[in-house]
Amino acid sequence: MNKNSKLLKFDRFFKSKYIFVFMTLALFAIVIISFGIGYYPLSPSEVFKAFLSRFIEIDDIKKQAVTIFWNIRLPRILSACFIGASLSVAGSTYQGMFRNPLVSPDILGVSSGASLGAALAILLGSSNFTIQMSAFLGGIAAVLFSYIISRNSPHSQIISLVLTGSMVMALCNAGVTLIKYISDPNDVLQQITFWLMGSLTKTNNEAFLWSFIPMLLGLIIIFLLRWKINLLTLDDEEAQTMGINIRFYRAIFIIASTMLSAAAVCLGGLIGWVGLMIPHMARAICGVNYERLIPLSALLGAAYLVLMDDIARSILSLELPIGVVTSIVGAPFFIYLIIKRKD
Amino acid sequence: MLLEVNNVSGGYGHKKIIKNVSCKADKGEILCLLGPNGCGKTTLFRMILGILPLSSGNIMLDGKDLSSLSQRERANLIAYIPQSHTPSFSYSVLDVVLMGRAAFISSLKTPGSKDMEAAKNALNLLHILHLADRKYTDLSGGQRQLVLIARAICQSSKILVLDEPAASLDYANQQLLINVISDLAKKGFCIIMSTHSPEHPASIGDKTLLLKEGQVAAFGSSDEVITNDNLKMVYGIEIDVVNVTDRYGNKRTICLPVQKTSKLS
Repeated sequence: MNKNSKLLKFDRFFKSKYIFVFMTLALFAIVIISFGIGYYPLSPSEVFKAFLSRFIEIDDIKKQAVTIFWNIRLPRILSACFIGASLSVAGSTYQGMFRNPLVSPDILGVSSGASLGAALAILLGSSNFTIQMSAFLGGIAAVLFSYIISRNSPHSQIISLVLTGSMVMALCNAGVTLIKYISDPNDVLQQITFWLMGSLTKTNNEAFLWSFIPMLLGLIIIFLLRWKINLLTLDDEEAQTMGINIRFYRAIFIIASTMLSAAAVCLGGLIGWVGLMIPHMARAICGVNYERLIPLSALLGAAYLVLMDDIARSILSLELPIGVVTSIVGAPFFIYLIIKRKD
Repeated sequence: MLLEVNNVSGGYGHKKIIKNVSCKADKGEILCLLGPNGCGKTTLFRMILGILPLSSGNIMLDGKDLSSLSQRERANLIAYIPQSHTPSFSYSVLDVVLMGRAAFISSLKTPGSKDMEAAKNALNLLHILHLADRKYTDLSGGQRQLVLIARAICQSSKILVLDEPAASLDYANQQLLINVISDLAKKGFCIIMSTHSPEHPASIGDKTLLLKEGQVAAFGSSDEVITNDNLKMVYGIEIDVVNVTDRYGNKRTICLPVQKTSKLS
């Protein structure tokens, strides 16, 4: 009985608006702690002083600490926040739109397209900026391709999109394999493999700022329209009779989600499982209504990826690629999901 | 007239499924669509709901041509109640009913207190307000059907279209649902429902449209349409339409499929 009433209290908290306040505070705390973690640890006072040194004159602070704070950790932590939020929000949106809780953000081929774009740019010996741009455009082109072909299919739009998406994915993956096969194993191949691995080591202020714009835009669009995703979980015709232009909203959500995932991939490479896992955790906490699910997914996703990056850069003496960490955590979670949860 | 279907034909591609169908229904009336599988009931519904374009004829909703209305305007005139289904996500009952307000909530907004009130009123009208916080997926088929009706009422349309509302419900729930539908008609809704049981139009339907191979076999008041001859013509089996009086003295109509002798003997 006691346990039950305690659970009920938790439930009431989860369903109230305070969960958002709590999660925002938790995210802040995790971010602040993360500034101290890494190959060169910073004490809390060093973190504080390094932060202030930008604004006021501080004497007893090592130059190194300031550089680490502003040029290495800050872009890295912000990147983790935004990639986590973007992948989770895109995943939540797609799971609703495809009416399937097992869908991940790359269902329309965005990550494969971005990988192909990046691999091609690396093969041609481009600069970092060009590689990033090429990845972003590759992701968008893949989704556009899936979307356009699906329009000619006689099946329902959802089924067509799933089919064309997996076809485009296969094509892009074949392209990446081909590029890897013909590239120099001592130089280009290594670079491609590294790029695709999913890692936040290459983030810097410039890279972050370029990806930040599409991510912020995508997040705002989905946040503003979030209630409408509920209607997309209904049958097409059912939603139409309720006065909703379902194809219009679907197109908007695909555009916004693609901007999110493409920007996330070009900033951090392939980071799997986040977009599949976080929406489930968010749903278990606040319920399935997208009005609450979208903001909670964003907060949870941001906090989760910052934590995973902390693990990646502190658990061993050498740094692990974050994609490996999220997969090691994500795969058992997925198995748990298949066995345990029913919604 | 709230609903007028005038000489409507159409179908999918070159295949004409509905041929020259006309019928009408007004405020407070129940129009039942009856006919064997594949006779075009669902196709006609999709046309009335504006999902499937007509190849000829026209449909008037409250005096306005259906084809000239926007999706949103249409939703304010006519609401669709599908057979109770299992959704992919476990929404609460209140969330499901609130979705009926979609046409009133502009793109960038989320449901407000007015919408909440409308949803609660709709649940209250059907006496299921106590289910508001339950999960829709945990409900029985009959309760789900009521929730979907509440969602349609919340949409504020005067015309409700029900696709075989009694199918897949148990015996008691079927009766319950039929009573709810007839109450709604008394409250002024215009109800259009398809059914597989000729007893539904006979007991609550004011009007019946009998369809056979996409054409009107009979249309009129249910007493005139539900007859031995009409049912035999449409279904191809012998059916006796019998008038009886129940224990409370109400006149009832029941339909009995009959056979001269058993084929096995």
